[in-house]
Amino acid sequence: MSADPNSPESPPRVDFRTDPSRYRHWKLNVEGPVARLALDVAEDGGLRPGYKLKLNSYDLGVDIELADALNRIRFEHPQVRAVVVTSARERVFCSGANIFMLGLSSHAWKVNFCKFTNETRNGMEDTSRHSGIGFVAAVNGSCAGGGYELALACDDIVLVDDRSSSVSLPEVPLLGVLPGTGGLTRVTDKRKVRHDHADIFCTTTEGVRGRRALEWRLVDAIAKPADFDRVVRERADVLAARCDRPADAKGVALPRIERTIGADRIAYAHVGVDIDRAKRTATITVRAPRGPQPADLPAIEAAGAAWWPLAMARELDDAILEMRANEPAIGTWLLKTEGDAAAVLAADEAMRRHAGHWFVREVVGFLRRTLARLDVSSRTLFALVEPGSCFAGTLAELALAADRTYMLALPDEPERAPALALSAANFGTYPMANGKARLAQRFYDEAEPLAAARAVIGQPLSGTDALALGLVTAAPDDIDWADEIRIAVEERASLSPDALTGMEANLRFGGAETMDTRIFGRLTAWQNWIFQRPNAVGDKGALKVYGTGEKAGFDFNRV
Amino acid sequence: MSTIDYSEKIPNNVNLSQDRTLQRALEHWQPNYLAWWQDMGPEGSRDFDVYLRTAVSVDPSGWAQFGYVKMPDYRWGIFLNPGDAERKIHFGDHLGEPAWQDVPGEHRANLRRIIVTQGDTEPASVEQQRHLGLTAPSQYDLRNLFQVNVEEGRHLWAMVYLLHRFFGRDGREEAEALLERRSGDRDNPRILGAFNEKTPDWLAFFMFTYFTDRDGKFQLCALAESGFDPLARTTKFMLTEEAHHMFVGESGVSRVIQRTCDAMRELGTDDPAKLRAAGVIDLPTIQRYLNFHFSVTIDLFGADQSSNAAIFYSSGLKGRYEEGKRADDHRLKGDHYRVLEVHDGRLAEKEVPMLNALNEVLRDDYIKDSVGGVNRWNKVIEKAGLPFRLAVPHKAFHRRIGALAGARIAPDGRVVSEAEWNAKVGEWLPTEADRAFVASLMGRVVEPGKFANWIAPPVVGINKQPVDFEYVRFG
Amino acid sequence: MDIAAATTIRQHLIDPEICIRCNTCEATCPVGAITHDERNYVVRADVCKPCNACIAPCPTGAIDNWRVVPSARVYSIEEQLGWDVLPAELTHDELAAAGVPEAVIGVVAPAVAVVATADPGEPVPLDAAHYSSLLPPWSAAHAYANLYGPKAPTVATVTGNFRVTEAGFANETHHVVLDFGAMPFPVLEGQSIGIVPPGADASGRPHRARQYSVASPRNGERPGYNNVSLTVKRVTADHQGRAVKGVCSNYVCDLKVGDKVQVIGPFGTSFLMPNHPRSNIVMICTGTGSAPMRAMTEWRRRLRQGGKFEGGKLMLFFGARTREELPYFGPLMSLPKDFIDINLAFSRTAGQPKRHVQDLMRERAADLAGLLQQSDTYVYVCGLRAMEEGVLLALRDAAVAGGLSWDALADAMRREGRLHLETY
Repeated sequence: MSADPNSPESPPRVDFRTDPSRYRHWKLNVEGPVARLALDVAEDGGLRPGYKLKLNSYDLGVDIELADALNRIRFEHPQVRAVVVTSARERVFCSGANIFMLGLSSHAWKVNFCKFTNETRNGMEDTSRHSGIGFVAAVNGSCAGGGYELALACDDIVLVDDRSSSVSLPEVPLLGVLPGTGGLTRVTDKRKVRHDHADIFCTTTEGVRGRRALEWRLVDAIAKPADFDRVVRERADVLAARCDRPADAKGVALPRIERTIGADRIAYAHVGVDIDRAKRTATITVRAPRGPQPADLPAIEAAGAAWWPLAMARELDDAILEMRANEPAIGTWLLKTEGDAAAVLAADEAMRRHAGHWFVREVVGFLRRTLARLDVSSRTLFALVEPGSCFAGTLAELALAADRTYMLALPDEPERAPALALSAANFGTYPMANGKARLAQRFYDEAEPLAAARAVIGQPLSGTDALALGLVTAAPDDIDWADEIRIAVEERASLSPDALTGMEANLRFGGAETMDTRIFGRLTAWQNWIFQRPNAVGDKGALKVYGTGEKAGFDFNRV
Repeated sequence: MSTIDYSEKIPNNVNLSQDRTLQRALEHWQPNYLAWWQDMGPEGSRDFDVYLRTAVSVDPSGWAQFGYVKMPDYRWGIFLNPGDAERKIHFGDHLGEPAWQDVPGEHRANLRRIIVTQGDTEPASVEQQRHLGLTAPSQYDLRNLFQVNVEEGRHLWAMVYLLHRFFGRDGREEAEALLERRSGDRDNPRILGAFNEKTPDWLAFFMFTYFTDRDGKFQLCALAESGFDPLARTTKFMLTEEAHHMFVGESGVSRVIQRTCDAMRELGTDDPAKLRAAGVIDLPTIQRYLNFHFSVTIDLFGADQSSNAAIFYSSGLKGRYEEGKRADDHRLKGDHYRVLEVHDGRLAEKEVPMLNALNEVLRDDYIKDSVGGVNRWNKVIEKAGLPFRLAVPHKAFHRRIGALAGARIAPDGRVVSEAEWNAKVGEWLPTEADRAFVASLMGRVVEPGKFANWIAPPVVGINKQPVDFEYVRFG
Repeated sequence: MDIAAATTIRQHLIDPEICIRCNTCEATCPVGAITHDERNYVVRADVCKPCNACIAPCPTGAIDNWRVVPSARVYSIEEQLGWDVLPAELTHDELAAAGVPEAVIGVVAPAVAVVATADPGEPVPLDAAHYSSLLPPWSAAHAYANLYGPKAPTVATVTGNFRVTEAGFANETHHVVLDFGAMPFPVLEGQSIGIVPPGADASGRPHRARQYSVASPRNGERPGYNNVSLTVKRVTADHQGRAVKGVCSNYVCDLKVGDKVQVIGPFGTSFLMPNHPRSNIVMICTGTGSAPMRAMTEWRRRLRQGGKFEGGKLMLFFGARTREELPYFGPLMSLPKDFIDINLAFSRTAGQPKRHVQDLMRERAADLAGLLQQSDTYVYVCGLRAMEEGVLLALRDAAVAGGLSWDALADAMRREGRLHLETY
């Protein structure tokens, strides 16, 4: 069944926009170089009715606030070099995703929720890696499941050694599912916990406390309750010391993203989404900057959140989240651009020239994470390079991210023909989840096509040129264009959405794996399979009967 | 952009002079088509003036214009039957929806496959028949052969039109490939088996046009029901031309039989040897040719159970014969049909889902239609007062496709042993000797009104012209 | 009342011996008149127009069969579905036995359409154009003229009158058969007769006679009978297009079987056909000028049927406004191609350019020239005066293109009685 967002049963729209004044679950305090993010989940603050967020358990609404808080830290508090993630509650750090919420949710909702929480946690690591901001998990109480996965996303885990608080991943023994928000993967890949220890850890409901947790590398430090704050503070200071964020810079406020939502369209200043429900297609158009653009740092700082790269990135990010959460039936996104390619390349040049500046660095980071979000979106992406478009530099990443790119060739009308242009930004500024530039991924790191592409940086490329360089999939001329595109889109829309999701994810991430790709690939795939199985979601499935006192009934045949 | 004067050279009702997509495609394809005709079209016929029918429009007065034409100058046109803006899809899952005027992307691959498969048969038969002109039994027959050839050429154009107009670059590549495959070429064969068989003599040609072109009729009839309106309209118009081909076959075989019966009465014998000595084709040989062409042709309908057939039907791409005249629900879910299989050494019926059996349904409709003509041939023998009767073989006989492929079944439907098959196959299918004998009769007769000894003249001429009309003027 | 139609129809049938059951006719028929079972394809007599749309697409010619049958005894589709062969034509006696009036039998034989000459006109010899011969062909039969004058007309009996154009179109044309009983009235193809309408005009003078070319051959509309046929167009407007009710044409068109008519004539001694073997006839006519052409064609057809006469070529150029206004379109089209070369020009067919007879003559100039080169070719032109110049120019150009001197040819043809024009 397709989910009709307008049908009475469909859930209310999810809004990913928030700000600290609206937070119900997180408290953000900044003291000098260290920010403190304390979780204090409002039990009645669930995004959907039907469950209580007890014991600092979270749902999508809680994680939307976390994602926002991270952006506030990145942009509004440039002096922050380390973040302490902790709980405002006694004896409980975080007990993970709310089980009753999971039990009530559709499969699609669960998957989408996990994807977003994964992206948020990956985003913490991304910021640590690129901006140097260190994250300390101050685990001041019991830390289970998603709670421990949040801690795992931090650079440093300090566990209170009170003889009762433990870290645990009880999903397998308790719920019959996986610790799917990176838990399994980070235990091995990031923390290098030996696999037999991990095996015991992951099948033990009560988790591991104190010294053993330290010995098994499940945490980095333990501290008695009396010492806990001091140890956390010291470790935060150590992390802060490796960061180069300025102590005296003025932050850039992130105002609420303005948009208008119609029945079939979402309109932002630089981004537009037009939905064709009959064809189950959305056209996402990203527009180039218009008018004079800041080139030097003062002007860029003065522009702040209105600076085109950031404004566009925030809007595109919101559009992607909107469409993913609220328009599941729109399976094909047609990516288009509009405007002056030179203006896009000028913005690229400004970002390149000032890459060392904290604000520019954060803008690039935002773009990087937004484009990466596109890579892992379970939608068909077709880029259409048409007259008036500006697939150049940063925006050329949209074409490179797409499953297919069609570019109009107009050999008889060069003045009207669309052009595609590369900039230095296409060669490493925006790595995918696997750490590679999309161009490098496209050519499997082969030197020859990459060198050929590098040789044309800054040059407007016709459809024929781009096809020859391997940058686009096909370059039909104006006679063929309309039918070619229509048929390709219609044909795509007729295929199994599940198979397409699997196929696209596999093809987009060919080649070597990273921890991130393993989280989005292997872990997520297994989790999604388990989420569909009767052992989890059947009438006697573990997820369903959790909390009822009834024992889960399993079909013990291995598959 | 082009040097071709489209409206003059290519009669059409598809607004060719305004359609850049088509013009561009044809600009490349048309010279290749003419080159193909030159290489693979009727041998040694370039300079003949042939009294041919040309379609210049689809109305009754325009579609059959007669006149002398040199075949390479034939005006191959592009015609669709007039459209009905209100037309609805009348079968399958899309029943009741407006007919498609463009290729629905969802069905692009299947539609292209259907069109390419149909299109491939058209040049194939021209290739199969290209040497026959050298041994035509009369001017009248030579003209009919050429008419069949140019119209197969036009049918290729019709399918190429669909590929060019609706399938973009893919379509253009497929259209080129239609000119590149060659009938009987082991490395580059035509798609369907029967179109790689030889058409070595005129009896084979008549049998081919009777049986195999009738397969064309049924395929076209099924496609004329298609929810893809341009395909339906194109094939409807092709059917008017296909009729001539079947006429050539039915009347051709009928005249061969007539001549044989005349000789049997004159000589008072049914001894094949004596009849052969008299230069006519004995009826048992005709029966063997019939067996061969019938069995090879019914294989063209495909496997008796086919998921493709079910998909083509349910998705509205290909209907049943006379779909519009049938009174069922036109969805067929849950319906069943009986197909044959060999079970415990006998033929047995098996009930299978109707949707999967649609190839068999079409095959059975075809068989019914073929039998009619065979009965009319028997009337000729009956009128001559002779006891012999021709019959179509059992549909399980000599099959190479489907559940019955390779089964040893006699023409009467008995499952026979390998030994019996080997012993009797010479009575059932044309032998080398049969073919050699028929080939020995083939010799060219070119004088107007004169006919080879093995075939009777037709009752009437073409387009009310007398039988001794000069149908072909040799250059 | 359409007398003949009430008693006989010309039923469209498909020959089951020739038909190959290809379904083309059924798919083509615009009114759904054709159906089939597993045995035969058949035509519903009550649905078939007949519009002939099915004729050309039929690959075998099986479709082009017709039988005159009493209206009450048409072949039902059930009968047709049972046939292995077509039934024979009903004989004269069978038709008579079926209650078909004697007068109607025979008039439905295939024939070229016939139209009356102009109605508003004097009963005087028709004008001959400058080029027209004053003498008949050397092999013409002897023509009797002026046997009955206005003072002493003879009386004929109407034995048939029925409409021969499609209902609903502008030109209403009737086929009228007159029988002279025992009175001698020998006519040849190309001659005309006069009909005296009863009554008097507004000033009290008796109506003058109107002249009509006969549309039947010399041995009668029905062979061996003392009858002639006329084909009369009901006049509703004069040459300038003003509404005028033609006195005589309306009188004739409204005649009923059994009515008595006063007739004078015959008239004309030069517009006559050649009778020697292998003589060619080129006929050029428009609308109302086709009557003599029908008569000549029918005579040649009967001779051909007899099998003892070696005819030459017949070539017809026939113009009308539309196909629907062309009487007897069906019979005309069913004449064998090797008997007559028919060229039809329709000046008002929707969606098609106007075509006049001279346009067709130019298209066929090569074949026309071939005939003009032969001294056995006779040319007849009949129709509205307006066509005269265009036809003569087309003839001239065809001749010149064929390497002939037009002046010499025209002169010779006129002197030898080989070029006849009757226009009005």
